[in-house]
Amino acid sequence: MHSLSRRLLVSVSVPLALFFGVMMLVLDTGFRALSERTMQELLDSQMVSLIAAAEPQPDGGYAPAPHALDPRLATPLSGLYAQIRSQLHEWQSPSNAKADVDFGPLLAHGERNTTYASFGHDRVAIESRAIQFEDDPKGQRTLTFSVAVSLSPYEEQLWRFRQELVGWFIGLILLLLITLAALMQWVLAPLRRMEREIHEVEEGRSEALGGGYPRELSGVASNLNTLLVGERRRVARYRDTLGNLAHSLKTPLAVMRSSLPRNAPAGPVGTQIDRMTDIIEHQLKRAAAGGALLGQAPVDVAQMAAPLRAALLHVYAAKDLALELVIPAACQFIGDRGDLTELLGNLLDNACKWCLGRVRLTAATDESAGGRLRLLIEVEDDGPGISAQDRERVLQRGVRTDESVPGHGLGLAMVRDTVELYGGSMSIGSSPLGGARFTLRLPGR
Amino acid sequence: MRVLVVEDEAVLRDNLKERLTESGFTVDVARDGEEGLFAALEYPLDVAIIDLGLPVLPGLEVIRRLRAARKSYPILILTARDNWQDKVEGLEAGADDYVAKPFQFEEVLARLQALLRRAGGWSTPQLTCGPVVLDTRAQAVSVNGTALDLTTFEYRILEHLMLRAGDVISKTELTERLYDQDFERDSNVIEVLVGRLRRKLDPEDTLRPIETLRGRGYRFALPRDTSS
Repeated sequence: MHSLSRRLLVSVSVPLALFFGVMMLVLDTGFRALSERTMQELLDSQMVSLIAAAEPQPDGGYAPAPHALDPRLATPLSGLYAQIRSQLHEWQSPSNAKADVDFGPLLAHGERNTTYASFGHDRVAIESRAIQFEDDPKGQRTLTFSVAVSLSPYEEQLWRFRQELVGWFIGLILLLLITLAALMQWVLAPLRRMEREIHEVEEGRSEALGGGYPRELSGVASNLNTLLVGERRRVARYRDTLGNLAHSLKTPLAVMRSSLPRNAPAGPVGTQIDRMTDIIEHQLKRAAAGGALLGQAPVDVAQMAAPLRAALLHVYAAKDLALELVIPAACQFIGDRGDLTELLGNLLDNACKWCLGRVRLTAATDESAGGRLRLLIEVEDDGPGISAQDRERVLQRGVRTDESVPGHGLGLAMVRDTVELYGGSMSIGSSPLGGARFTLRLPGR
Repeated sequence: MRVLVVEDEAVLRDNLKERLTESGFTVDVARDGEEGLFAALEYPLDVAIIDLGLPVLPGLEVIRRLRAARKSYPILILTARDNWQDKVEGLEAGADDYVAKPFQFEEVLARLQALLRRAGGWSTPQLTCGPVVLDTRAQAVSVNGTALDLTTFEYRILEHLMLRAGDVISKTELTERLYDQDFERDSNVIEVLVGRLRRKLDPEDTLRPIETLRGRGYRFALPRDTSS
């Protein structure tokens, strides 16, 4: 029961089916009662005319005059049969010649009954009535009149009626369900719109739900929007606070470090300063890294990369650097601008540090990963590269493969943490340029 | 080399001044953005270290105004906000490199020297002109592989001349690079120092590494060897 439509459909079609079932039962019973009465009337009228037509015969028995006989009684196997019996005599209607109907036992005077019997394939209803003439003290002349009528025409009629009934009801049910489905389509349209808009917010294509929802949903929509805006504000404030905290802790640390005695081995204070620096660099930064927020506008990768390129060319002006950006215009990252800048900045800085002269940043959207669009970012250089056994190690905090190159050794660990925060992945390989290749897979579009 | 340090934290500022002086720099200091901007515009500097989080006038604004005033010496920024957005902003404003707080002094020094070399058109810490090799990291000079014993002032003058080898540098400029503004300036001292340098570099008087251009100043005349 995960769909409202299905719930509605089931909850409507069950009573509907019950209603129609009961209706069919009632109509069927009514129709049968009607046809039974018709049949009874036919039997009664045949009985009366048979009794009226019966005349004493020379042999002491009774029989109707042939001209007074109903044509159906005269035709063999017509479906209407009659018999007049006494203890001594018996008269069969000509229609009974081959059917061989068993009309049951003789009745005593005044008795009458209606029974059913089978004659071969045919089912018949039999009405019998016993009549005694007054001048018959021994009861020898008590006559049992029987009329039988084949049930098959009635059954056929009933069957046809039922077929028609079922046909009509099925048609009606289908019509009702189709109407219901169409109505639901219409009624649930705002819900589907809300679902679509939430999806768009998730994908970063819009920042909030639109207006114009029906009264029952407008509250939900506006509450959701309030929640989205509030959440974005809260996270922004949280990040700001953490950023300021890190910032305001660093200057005192710098003061403390510069106050340490020079040219002496790092004492406990120096070690603790390094530890605190590391905590600020790593933990606070990681806490301040945003991750994707609902309703965040996507960030254009090319737009973020261009100023970084300019800045790095400036910093590495002493190197004859070719820093190439291969980023299609449609490449967008879903997440925080600051996070993307950190990712690209750290990777590019690392590549510039190690390269001989070539660094390449390639971004592309990758549709292979389970339908959802992924952003693929590669940073390559023509430096010495990273050997397979060092690859896992360089992603750890504070590890530098070459201690002579300045840096805290935090950049790559930071990149990995941020990528993981976004549910992405990071891998290190070799570049055709000759050096290392860092590959990031991130949510994007 | 004359360097300006703009830093609001007194301990950091004093420490930087002390250690930069020890490393052979002539150091000016400023406590806030306004003071820093004034010093940066008025003094004949080779390089400036500017903290981004300054009172009165933010570091970024100081850098922008300096560049707007066509001051072209390299600028190193100190930043406690160690994120790329701020670094990019600083570099876009006109800074040349950055060091994140809390820093090791050695890192600041290395970046400063690299900036100075770059400003002089050198890409390596070793400046080589003919047989003369000056190592800016070790502050050591050798001629034809023989190490020279130079005084601090002699080294500073030679470094300044060699960093800008081929350019004419006035006596006033050299004097200002040697002394803080508080000292009395005496151009005779420069003549004496240059004379001593010439004798140490070129005892046989065959190389003639330092030219005197009458009324204009000095020029390091040996061609740069940029292959190393």
